[in-house]
Amino acid sequence: MRAFLLLFLLFLLVGCEKREERVVTFAVGGAPNEIEFWEKLVREFEERKGIKVKLLRQPTDTDQRRQGLVVALRSGMKDPDVFLMDVAWLPQFAASGWLEPLEGSGLKREVFFKRVVKLVDIYSGKLVALPVYVDGGVLYYRKDLLEKYGYSKLPETWEELLEYSLRVQRGERKKSPQFFGFVWQGAQYEGLVCTFLEFASSRGGGITFRKGRLVLNTGPNVEALTFMRDLIHRYRISPPNTYTEMKEEEVRMFFQEGNALFERNWPYAWALHQSKDSKVRGKVGIAPLPKFKGGRRASTLGGWHIGISRFSDTKRESLEFLKFVLSYEVQKRLALNLGWNPGRTDVYEDRDVLKRMPHFKVLREVFNYIVARPVSPYYTQVSEVLQKYLNSALSGRLSPEEALRRAEEEVGKVVERYSR
Amino acid sequence: MLKGTLGRYSSDELRDAFTFLLPLILFISIFILLPVMGTFLISTYREVTFLEKEFVFLENYLKLLSDGAFWQSLRFTLLFVLVSVPLEMVLGLAFALIINERIPFRGLLRTVLLIPWAVPLAVSARVWELIYNYNYGLANLLLLKMGITDEPVNWLGTELGAFIALVISDVWKTTPFVAIIFLAGLQAIPGEIYAQAQIDGANLFQRFFRITLPLLKPVAVVALLFRSVDALRVFDLVYVLTHGGPGGSTTSLSLYAYKHFLAGDFGYGSAVSVILFLIAFLLSILYVRASGFLSEVAR
Repeated sequence: MRAFLLLFLLFLLVGCEKREERVVTFAVGGAPNEIEFWEKLVREFEERKGIKVKLLRQPTDTDQRRQGLVVALRSGMKDPDVFLMDVAWLPQFAASGWLEPLEGSGLKREVFFKRVVKLVDIYSGKLVALPVYVDGGVLYYRKDLLEKYGYSKLPETWEELLEYSLRVQRGERKKSPQFFGFVWQGAQYEGLVCTFLEFASSRGGGITFRKGRLVLNTGPNVEALTFMRDLIHRYRISPPNTYTEMKEEEVRMFFQEGNALFERNWPYAWALHQSKDSKVRGKVGIAPLPKFKGGRRASTLGGWHIGISRFSDTKRESLEFLKFVLSYEVQKRLALNLGWNPGRTDVYEDRDVLKRMPHFKVLREVFNYIVARPVSPYYTQVSEVLQKYLNSALSGRLSPEEALRRAEEEVGKVVERYSR
Repeated sequence: MLKGTLGRYSSDELRDAFTFLLPLILFISIFILLPVMGTFLISTYREVTFLEKEFVFLENYLKLLSDGAFWQSLRFTLLFVLVSVPLEMVLGLAFALIINERIPFRGLLRTVLLIPWAVPLAVSARVWELIYNYNYGLANLLLLKMGITDEPVNWLGTELGAFIALVISDVWKTTPFVAIIFLAGLQAIPGEIYAQAQIDGANLFQRFFRITLPLLKPVAVVALLFRSVDALRVFDLVYVLTHGGPGGSTTSLSLYAYKHFLAGDFGYGSAVSVILFLIAFLLSILYVRASGFLSEVAR
């Protein structure tokens, strides 16, 4: 017995021995093929630079990825050293002082999308992150159906999109009763704020803070939200479950099953629509989102940015890894292998990329219409309120005016709470 | 009362009793009492990751009072407990009575009945999500195939619909738990009592209401207590099925707290958690008191 105890203690001590090796921990989540790709990249980096990198697998879900990081960073843990952040919560991380400034690290920020860097990556004058992947809302359409119904050009405005949808839907319903004209994200979650921002901005409205006050209950915003609601309940070109279940994947699968004419989604859907088991393979086109008559196009900025933890114990090595991920070569491979839209603009000129990814030309144009959600450390709280009231309006529980008025009021309380 | 009870024991006996209890007391202090106190402590701070930490005492609680979303979430949570727990108790008792009888395939039935309870809640919530799904859900498929409706139903689309969907899923999942507890209670009732009652001419209903139910009371309190506290904390089901929608109408208190943690506001989120704890605590005391559970055990 005594011998056993001694042995046990010995094991404990051995287990506690501190390892001297410096290892960079990189937290990243995503689909299995994405993780696989990161694993390959990490191995290559290790071979080339002789720096050890440990991949910390995270879930696909954005909220869960965020939760893992918030818990680690709030308690000042040394790992993870490098991680990817969604644009929606990057400001919170920056304002919490969790990100190591990247100034003077020799990174050339000019090669990245200037507007994007300016909007989200610079916090109180310091560069704290850089875009690995930029995203924006796009319109997918069925080339074959537009042709079948004699439309030679794409809808420029939302009004035209409605017109096309009504006619095509009427025609297609004869064969497939579950056919809808236009599918988009309307469930109560972050994606709803993104779609609303696009409709609202293309009507001349938006979600903006003026002198610390949210300006939301405006004529254009009410009109945009009314239009969104009418798409479901009045014109019925969007399915009734738009405001309950329609998130990115639900929308994508609906369209991919061949049940819709138009789809609002992020660029990731392109590669999947073209995959072998897709029913719409080869029949899909991609374009910038329409605008309202007299408005201008808008596309909500999304995407993932890379940064280094302030609590990292391997900052020098981490920076090396970050530079590697942001290099032309890796960004190009991200585009070619995963279909990601790089944060570097120069990759969009690359001949291989353009040849294999012709839709990148459209994306480059889309990124000119980028509008950003409010950049604020307490954006999440603001968004919670917005999601709730926008969703109430879509479900018909509240009128659009009432919903926006109440949202504005409640956001006022949030601002008051967090900005003293 | 306590003194009177303890007075019967010698100091040696008391010391031994305390020694035996020590591990349990330690366990409870470290893993339950400390976290609860810690949460309460955090709730008295303005603890937001991007702001200076500041002691605000009860300010978070005062804010809760004027927070409409909090009240909505409290209302939903209590309503959820009030509707789902009684259903589970009644159904659980019914199942327990059935599988307590000498019916064919009893062993198999007991096993099958337990399956929902053995499935992790997050998994069963996913399954229910697929059943309720508008486009490819089982519920709509059946309705359409049987010709009951010609248009699919948007189950989770209305406040009431989402609420009922959540209750059904919860009842499906936890009725087996209640049934098993009742089954244990039923088997502890000696058969002679029934035999005696039969001789005295008591009919089936009399035997059930005069013998079975009263003797099941202690077990029922345990089931009720577990289920109520569990239902109060409902999280996974809501997180997966409705994410709190539509329009925030099904945001349970724990989901509401979680949303604040996620956004970096630990003080406010902790205040919500403390309220949730207090409700559960008061409810437990109420149950135990009302049922006279303690005195019955002491006898």
